[in-house]
Amino acid sequence: MTDTPNDLVLYGERFTSRFLLGTALYDSPAQMQEAIRAAGCEIVTLGLRRQGPAEGHGDAFFGLIRDSGCRLLPNTAGCRSAREAITLAEMSRELFDTPWIKLEVIGDDYTLHPDPFGLVEAASELVAQGFKVLPYCSDDLILCQRLIDAGCQALMPWGAPIGTGLGLNNRYALRTLRERLDVPLIIDAGLGAPSQACEAMELGFDAILLNTAVARAHNPPQMAGAFREAIDAGRRAHLAGLMERQQTASPSTPTLGQPFWHGMTQG
Amino acid sequence: MTSISPSSHVAIAGAGLLGRLLAWRLLRGGRRVSLFDAGDLDTPPAAAWTAAGMVAPQCETAVSEASIYAMGTFALAQWPKWLAELDAEALWHAKGSLVVAHPQDMAALNQFRRDLEHALGEQANLQALDHAGLHHLEPDLAPGLRQGLYLENEAHLDNRELLVRLLAEIRGLGGQCHAHCPVETAPGEIVTPGGRQRFDWVIDCRGTGARPRQPGLRGVRGETLHVRTSEVHLSRPVRLMHPRYQLYVVPKPGHRFVIGATQIESEDRSPMSLQSSLELGSALFTLSPAFAEARILEQGVNLRPAFHDNLPRVTQQPGLISANGLFRHGYLLAPAVASHVLARLEGDTQLPFRSILDVRPLQEVSP
Repeated sequence: MTDTPNDLVLYGERFTSRFLLGTALYDSPAQMQEAIRAAGCEIVTLGLRRQGPAEGHGDAFFGLIRDSGCRLLPNTAGCRSAREAITLAEMSRELFDTPWIKLEVIGDDYTLHPDPFGLVEAASELVAQGFKVLPYCSDDLILCQRLIDAGCQALMPWGAPIGTGLGLNNRYALRTLRERLDVPLIIDAGLGAPSQACEAMELGFDAILLNTAVARAHNPPQMAGAFREAIDAGRRAHLAGLMERQQTASPSTPTLGQPFWHGMTQG
Repeated sequence: MTSISPSSHVAIAGAGLLGRLLAWRLLRGGRRVSLFDAGDLDTPPAAAWTAAGMVAPQCETAVSEASIYAMGTFALAQWPKWLAELDAEALWHAKGSLVVAHPQDMAALNQFRRDLEHALGEQANLQALDHAGLHHLEPDLAPGLRQGLYLENEAHLDNRELLVRLLAEIRGLGGQCHAHCPVETAPGEIVTPGGRQRFDWVIDCRGTGARPRQPGLRGVRGETLHVRTSEVHLSRPVRLMHPRYQLYVVPKPGHRFVIGATQIESEDRSPMSLQSSLELGSALFTLSPAFAEARILEQGVNLRPAFHDNLPRVTQQPGLISANGLFRHGYLLAPAVASHVLARLEGDTQLPFRSILDVRPLQEVSP
């Protein structure tokens, strides 16, 4: 392993884990807590749109998430307009005493496709209000640039739509984002298998945010551990430098001196 | 441990499903029983009144904790016996349940099947249905539903009628019922606004009413829609799998249907949200467009009592037993939990479902 500093830096704060986990969809809070431990994550996301947060109705559940000791990253899941997302972000700042917000503005109910226009609008206002905004966005380069222009210092592009497990749906677009953008990029949503998370990390993405793939596994803590190792492997491979793919075979052991007919008689 | 004697006077706090079942069983056994509830007894605030009354151990095992399966299969055997004693066999419907998905959401149905087969292995008993098989069982389902799973061994019961029936039996057997009487419980004592009353045993099964004194107990909001229409006939519960939520419709007497239930990690008891109403309503409408003109009778909201592993717990001190945390599985788990509590009262050494329901070994909490 290389000695290169390997911390994830988000808004000036350092994290050793590159695995962020969502807290929805588990069979029970106990199972969620086990998965968080197995993932070794330092940041967990949580939704509060439907909890009645202002009245404290979600406190019992939020307390169980807090018990994990992780930094809480509240999200605006379920918001369909910039205004809704801004209002919820303001409420979450008060409730959790944090300016960090994972910004979601959903444009399509069935695919949960982010609304790029609402996202830029909400991000601009929230940044102006002093929030540290991590927007959940598609892999569109121009959208990502506009979000950075709006003051976002990290982005969360999707691998594929939320909950699909399809993996890196558009490698070309994701590679372009990585090549062109100089902020931390966290692949958020759409991953179903550790191999997909590993590939994203090999491509140079900075971290992975998951929920469904872990929560819906038959054994969530075990799956969380599998993702943790895959993310670590992908990160180390990226740091180590992947070889270029070649069109022609290039033997790693010299064959000079081997009788030419040797290959012909094999199987 | 001092077990119950024939002359024992038992107080039960909480007249929900568990409280009523225990009161009835104890009265049948010749004990004196006083039943207390903070709310009304005829239209109780209990989660059991809001619930849909499914007894679906396979379905529930697929979507929640695996360890409830054994307690659920116990319920399938126990309910018919108890209902026969109540002369209320007609409230029991052993007609299985159906799980369906719209063609675009088949992955959700496949996932459900995989989860079920993984959780239950050889014990999984399900039958894949094609279009003809599905519509043969439930002709009124929307023609667009092309595949489903039939879980033959599951059942549902007419839960409100059962709660009413249990209360009538309790009164008929001489049980003292105290409605609108919020209490606190202590070993051998019920504390009412009017003072303390001594009992030989106190059983606390108040559900979320035991908050905040019951450590680790939380409420999980659930919303249900009650509708009536004579245009649709269903014989059994139908569950709709969808990528983001799973809803079910359960037929009830008098052309009524209960559609439920949302599951939101919140202790908010305020009325149903518009979003939940849309979700429940559209799920129903897509199961059968004939539901369009159904009349909405009621929007139910209640809190399921749950511990952090969403499994029930029974704790005991001298003179006080607490049973709580049945979560979304009231009718599925109540027979097992009630049998466990009754066995404790009798001083049995073989407690049913002890490995699941016991928080600590019995000797640690007994004198």
